[in-house]
Amino acid sequence: MLLELARWLAQDVRGFNVVNYITLRAVLATLTALAISFIVGPGLIRKLTHYKVGQSVRDDGPQTHLVKAGTPTMGGALILVAIGISTLLWADLTNRFVWVVLIVTMGFGIVGMVDDWRKVVHRNPKGLSAKEKYFWQSLLGFGAAFYLWHTATIPAETTLIFPFFKTVTVPLGAASFIVLTYLVIVGSSNAVNLTDGLDGLAILPTVLVASALAIFAYAAGHLYFSKYLGIPYIPGAGELAVFCTAMAGAGLGFLWFNAYPAEVFMGDVGALALGAALGVVAVIVRQEIVLFIMGGVFVMETLSVAAQVTYFKYTKKRYGTGRRIFLMAPLHHHYEQKGWKETQVVVRFWIITMMLVLVGLSTLKLR
Amino acid sequence: MKTKRTIFCVGGDSHASQGSHVMATPNQYIRFWIITMMLVLVGLSTLKLR
Repeated sequence: MLLELARWLAQDVRGFNVVNYITLRAVLATLTALAISFIVGPGLIRKLTHYKVGQSVRDDGPQTHLVKAGTPTMGGALILVAIGISTLLWADLTNRFVWVVLIVTMGFGIVGMVDDWRKVVHRNPKGLSAKEKYFWQSLLGFGAAFYLWHTATIPAETTLIFPFFKTVTVPLGAASFIVLTYLVIVGSSNAVNLTDGLDGLAILPTVLVASALAIFAYAAGHLYFSKYLGIPYIPGAGELAVFCTAMAGAGLGFLWFNAYPAEVFMGDVGALALGAALGVVAVIVRQEIVLFIMGGVFVMETLSVAAQVTYFKYTKKRYGTGRRIFLMAPLHHHYEQKGWKETQVVVRFWIITMMLVLVGLSTLKLR
Repeated sequence: MKTKRTIFCVGGDSHASQGSHVMATPNQYIRFWIITMMLVLVGLSTLKLR
């Protein structure tokens, strides 16, 4: 929005041309989202507390978490408002990628909001039924995949690239592109949701991965940088750097209130939306595999749940009693059960993510 | 009657005495990390904004 205004003003005052630079708008988007979080955050937390929108804690989780019952949830709405306003202000609104990412993010946010609402109003920790949740997630995931396939103008937009290998690429057909895109978006969304179990655990890795994707988006959308780095040139993808940095700013602003001991939880409204946003950005900038590396913490959390459930069902069928691989799933609860303090688990998972993001960023050059 | 306002305490409670059991909460230092991250971002932006 402000880009259009600046272009109009630049006809008289040349200084406004500086707003054309994606890098400047990315920095301003971060600061705007952060400012919105700080301004809206305290009021929103007061409102959520007033209306008793408190988290119900799963009764099969760690006993130490029972004290968290009643902490306001649905704080993810704050993140979405900050991302939405900041992106609408600073991104180029004629760019189709910006709209795809915004619609997918807000769509998953609405699914999460309905889930949270049922948990809060009906006092049911399980919320939306799994079938309903997957139906709406699939609709949004397939919708985005179909749109990206049909609007692709160059082969690079639908080619799977492999990190560390400059020449290894797989041109995808319609079916494989749509299925892969769907899996990345929905998988990423659910992975972040599973990780969101300790104060600050999901949000900082999301900020770090979004920041890295901002660099990938900027490079992929830049003719010379993409050529120099040997990554696919995706015209228009650079604008997603503004969205990603808005995400980072909103996430940091949210962490201010979500750091242990949390004043507010993001809830599914935040977790599903942020995960889907990371997925769809990774698909557009053709870095699905790098997302898998950088979001290693999300992947491990998801795999721990899958392994635990599968092994439990298998041993129950075979031996009559279910056995477990981990003391508790998802993985962060396993380490809590082993005696790590909540803050130790959180900060150590942050450190792991920082390392994985560095590995992901190194693929820009090491290929 | 209160005669003097304290602006900053010299040392937090957790550092003040062996008898104190008040600990700095993690959100206090995480908030300082966030402020530092933002300042680093502003610093990095000077690379381009000149």
